[in-house]
Amino acid sequence: MSHHYVVTAQKPTAVVACLTGNFTSPTDLNLIIARNNQVEIDLVTPEGLRPLKEININGAIAVMRHFRPPDSNKDLLFILTRRYNVMILECRMVGDSITVITKANGNVSDPVGIPSEGGVIAAIDPKARVIGMCLYQGLFTIIPMDKDASELKATNLRMDELTVYDVEFLHGCLNPTVIVIHMDNDGRHVKSHEINLRDKEFMKIAWKQDNVETEATMLIPVPSPIGGVVVIGRESIVYHDGSNYHAVAPLTFRQSTINCYARVDSKGQRYLLGNMDGQLYMLFLGTSETSKGTMSVKDIKVEQLGEISIPECITYLDNGFLYIGSRHGDSQLVRLSSDAIDGSYVIPVENFTNLAPILDIAVVDLDRQGQGQIITCSGSFKDGSLRIIRIGIGIQEHACIDLPGIKGMWSLKVGMDESPYENTLVLAFVGHTRILTLSGEEVEETEIPGFASDSQTFLCANVEYDQIVQVTAESVRLVKSSTKLLVAEWQPEGDRSIGVVSCNGTQIVVASARDIFYIVIEDGNLVEKSRKTLAYEVACLDITPLDEQENKSDLVAVGLWTDISAVILSLPDLEAIYTEKLSGEIIPRSILMTTFEGIHYLLCALGDGSMFYFILDKTSGQLTDKKKVTLGTQPTTLRTFRSFATTNVFACSDRPTVIYSSNHKLVFSNVNLKEVNHMCSLNAQAYPDSLALATKSSVILGTIDEIQKLHIRTVPLGEGPRRIAYQEASQTFAVSTMRIDVHGRGGAKPMRNSASTQAQNITCSSNILPKPGGGNPTAANAEVGQEVDVHNLLVIDQNTFEVLHAHQFVPPETISSLMSAKLGDDPNTYYVVATSLVFPDEPEPKVGRIIIFHYHDNKLTQVAETKVDGTCYALVEFNGKVLAGIGSFVRLYEWTNEKELRMECNIQNMIAALYLKAKGDFILVGDLMRSITLLQHKQMEGIFVEIARDCEPKWMRAVEILDDDTFLGSETNGNLFVCQKDSAATTDEERQLLPELARFHLGDTVNVFRHGSLVMQNVGERTTPVNGCVLYGTCNGAIGIVTQIPQDFYDFLHGLEERLKKIIKSVGKIEHTYYRNFQIHTKVEPSEGFIDGDLIESFLDLTRDKMRDAVLGLELTLNGERKCADVEDVIKIVEDLTRMH
Amino acid sequence: MSVSVNEFLKGLPCHDSSNFSHVSHEHGIRTSQKRASIYLPTEDVPSEQLIVMDKRCVLLRYLTQQWDKKTLQRKREHGNESSNNTNSTPNGNNSKKRPRLENNELN
Repeated sequence: MSHHYVVTAQKPTAVVACLTGNFTSPTDLNLIIARNNQVEIDLVTPEGLRPLKEININGAIAVMRHFRPPDSNKDLLFILTRRYNVMILECRMVGDSITVITKANGNVSDPVGIPSEGGVIAAIDPKARVIGMCLYQGLFTIIPMDKDASELKATNLRMDELTVYDVEFLHGCLNPTVIVIHMDNDGRHVKSHEINLRDKEFMKIAWKQDNVETEATMLIPVPSPIGGVVVIGRESIVYHDGSNYHAVAPLTFRQSTINCYARVDSKGQRYLLGNMDGQLYMLFLGTSETSKGTMSVKDIKVEQLGEISIPECITYLDNGFLYIGSRHGDSQLVRLSSDAIDGSYVIPVENFTNLAPILDIAVVDLDRQGQGQIITCSGSFKDGSLRIIRIGIGIQEHACIDLPGIKGMWSLKVGMDESPYENTLVLAFVGHTRILTLSGEEVEETEIPGFASDSQTFLCANVEYDQIVQVTAESVRLVKSSTKLLVAEWQPEGDRSIGVVSCNGTQIVVASARDIFYIVIEDGNLVEKSRKTLAYEVACLDITPLDEQENKSDLVAVGLWTDISAVILSLPDLEAIYTEKLSGEIIPRSILMTTFEGIHYLLCALGDGSMFYFILDKTSGQLTDKKKVTLGTQPTTLRTFRSFATTNVFACSDRPTVIYSSNHKLVFSNVNLKEVNHMCSLNAQAYPDSLALATKSSVILGTIDEIQKLHIRTVPLGEGPRRIAYQEASQTFAVSTMRIDVHGRGGAKPMRNSASTQAQNITCSSNILPKPGGGNPTAANAEVGQEVDVHNLLVIDQNTFEVLHAHQFVPPETISSLMSAKLGDDPNTYYVVATSLVFPDEPEPKVGRIIIFHYHDNKLTQVAETKVDGTCYALVEFNGKVLAGIGSFVRLYEWTNEKELRMECNIQNMIAALYLKAKGDFILVGDLMRSITLLQHKQMEGIFVEIARDCEPKWMRAVEILDDDTFLGSETNGNLFVCQKDSAATTDEERQLLPELARFHLGDTVNVFRHGSLVMQNVGERTTPVNGCVLYGTCNGAIGIVTQIPQDFYDFLHGLEERLKKIIKSVGKIEHTYYRNFQIHTKVEPSEGFIDGDLIESFLDLTRDKMRDAVLGLELTLNGERKCADVEDVIKIVEDLTRMH
Repeated sequence: MSVSVNEFLKGLPCHDSSNFSHVSHEHGIRTSQKRASIYLPTEDVPSEQLIVMDKRCVLLRYLTQQWDKKTLQRKREHGNESSNNTNSTPNGNNSKKRPRLENNELN
């Protein structure tokens, strides 16, 4: 049996639909955004958009529309899912909280209907009398709205039009009247149908217009009193109302299709149109009054306003602001300005990150910390980008001061001891110290007369009796806070200088080489209480009190040179009470005693960025439970700070990390800053609960996020990325991209600047394969204005993400696959690129190449190439050889000493071998439609053998090997499944099968699986037994995790899942079980072997009462003992699970 | 061209003039990843209306409709004659069929 846990780390970001209306109250203006299976409700406010709630729908949203019932002053939401579930939702505000009421729900699927070719369409009558939907060919489904009936009877009407492109309801009609764009052999036509709601049939055709533009795709109903409809085509716009007809063919409509619109004013004179090029237009209907006193359209004007993200939907919000929902790039909030800026009337205000569609991901551990960073190929066309995603704690930067060379930093209260706020920052530099005063948000330099400002400060702190301590190499200085004058000074004897120091409110420990001094702070006096000479030189010291209420410590922690040890000394006599040898030769650089959740710890950071930590016994000084983690690569400094009323430790290094405790386990969380050399907490009036962080060149004042989350950085490419590969040897990524060029008189030219046109070096592929059977591959006689896809191989620096090199392929050669590999005995690492020649008249490319490139010394050189007879869809490095899925073949190429690819073996057993993964000698193949197959390479015989296959047909989208026997697949209907090899089977026949053991409906199409982890592996402890980690990226821009779990843990989580299904009610009344059912067309099987992590994690958001309900009767095994679970146990387990992302 | 665009963009609809009034334009384009909190209803509010699909096939519905029209006509024409007919004709079957279809719907 096979058990898995699947959870979303990044929710889907592609916007499917958006609309504006009054939902939360008659006066509130709301923006509603639909993304895959979620609906977001935003409020329009003076400050911009404020997200109010996100609602999960148990289904993928196909259509979202809104309407206002005749007797209502609020809008209702209508949603249709891909499985034909329908719902009508209402938002109600009760106090500050939103309730979403499911007013009506049901399912309108037809078991024998043929899904309509033009996609699922739904429209609502402007008087809200009926909802109409095109779901199946030749049928028009209506839901008559009767607010008094307990049942709404949805009915299929027979419609003559088979291929329908758009449907809308006309305004101002006595009976509900739909208008459709449909296609037959003669072209596309527009036709209206009046619906008889009583008899549930079409009554008559009010008017029709045959042969509108051949590419007409969209209808815009014009509200009363104008009425009629605007038909949007590829080149022209037509207005028609049965009698009146106007057409325009705007020149500014380039060769791109208008795919969405938004009505601007309620009278319906102005509309916004968006196209697939990301151009925004305004359509204006000029009207005149007829002799009968009615309004009629007199002319149509269209003007280009400017550029936006490639839109999926547009909605007008208020005061000239628009929301642009996008699938291909970031969604946007933009403002329309009547004054053009650089020729554009569109001013972007805010971008909403969208990763969709994720076509490929690379998981790399650039910092070698066991924590992956994800680099995604995101977006399409002009909105294509790479996204760098890593998990960590965010710093919200509030101010930044340019100050290079900081060697230490402390915050102080000077002359204001009653105030809770600090007002001073002390900064140490080599040879001097600078003091900054914070007054309001302003920062100015000041002086404290009692300070030695001409030497480097080692330590500075507010101490007892309103005094301040400053320690330099020469002395310890005690300064009165009120007068800022020196009141006492302590110096080591002779010409000795202070090396390291630590203090708390009442005590100071100072070390000079092997000598250590204990000094007590009194009012106006520094008293040396004891001194000791240790065996080796002191490398670091700490005297932080373990009890937060205390300002006095009984212990001193010391890190020593030479024998590399941590020593605990007792106070006041500095007696060594415990010595712990740290293994290795790297000296300790920072030592710290701290208390997390009542447990005392000793943390000791070394010069190589690693850190030991122990549990510290407060009385005996004994150190137990030694553990080691790697935090960075440079010497690390540990500082404590308080945030959200808990103690945290900040590890300053080249990989700044925050250490905190959760459920009595230490958690190490990355901070989203490149490098922090020093830090101190800062609680100033203008910067409350903040941190001051010193980087190489500046000081950042900012606040820290409460929890770790995904941080996304965007590298815009301006063209669509398809595949990505990482190469450690050259510290680069290779990315294949597609750019659109347009044929002009002098040949094809790029439409805009993008990554491949602006690279540092640009080369062009010279070797053009001839088209099989003749013909001219360069298409030199292409028409002016014709678009061509130009594929590029980009080499990108791993740190700066600069495009170092662009290698352009001559159309129609396209890149189909890409990898980095070390081949044979060759010491070089190569980029292996597979291409194919794509001709529109061929069903499948017949010719392609596999090319070996070497990137070295900023040069990309082609080392070898081999011709292949088909498209190479997948490439995998396989024991130093190139494994390729080419058409229906899986082939293995070896790398000869002559640097040539030579085919070693070959198997043809597929329709199209689209996806390959390898482990050892085993190869997992994902087929176009024949699910997955396991092959073995017999090295001795040099052949492939088919071991087993899944015999159920599935159209695959991605495959992954979980372990030697377990294989994960994603298929095109948004389902995940796991097949397992049955090695124990008794017959050969059984052994040749890959039985499907686990299945799950994810509700999103996975395009790529990669092994890797978002969080640091082997750091901290886990209570949850998860095994392995596979990351996935989807069409809708979601990133998730699949991991294996043992049976007993599965059973426990399954029990919790079942309880949560009952407690959490579904909006729209679609059962969770139904949603997660594995469904391929008519075949439906219940989900099994997968735990829905998103549902499990929602446990943490329940109220305490509901948590108690959820764990009632739930049993779990804790420390080998079976017991009834209580809320605390379950919170711990679920919190631990959430830390996977 | 710009003149007409200016005309187009004049008098854009305003719901509440204060909306977006505090959006600062100085800092360039903001980038946002923030998401709203998840709505987790735990109270079961039954749906006011159930949407049910009329499962009769389009052809059958068309035939029954036609039949109803015809019998109505015939009733008018022949008065008593038709009452004997209805029990043995498909129309009679039709009235028997209905409960079975509704059973299907429940499933």
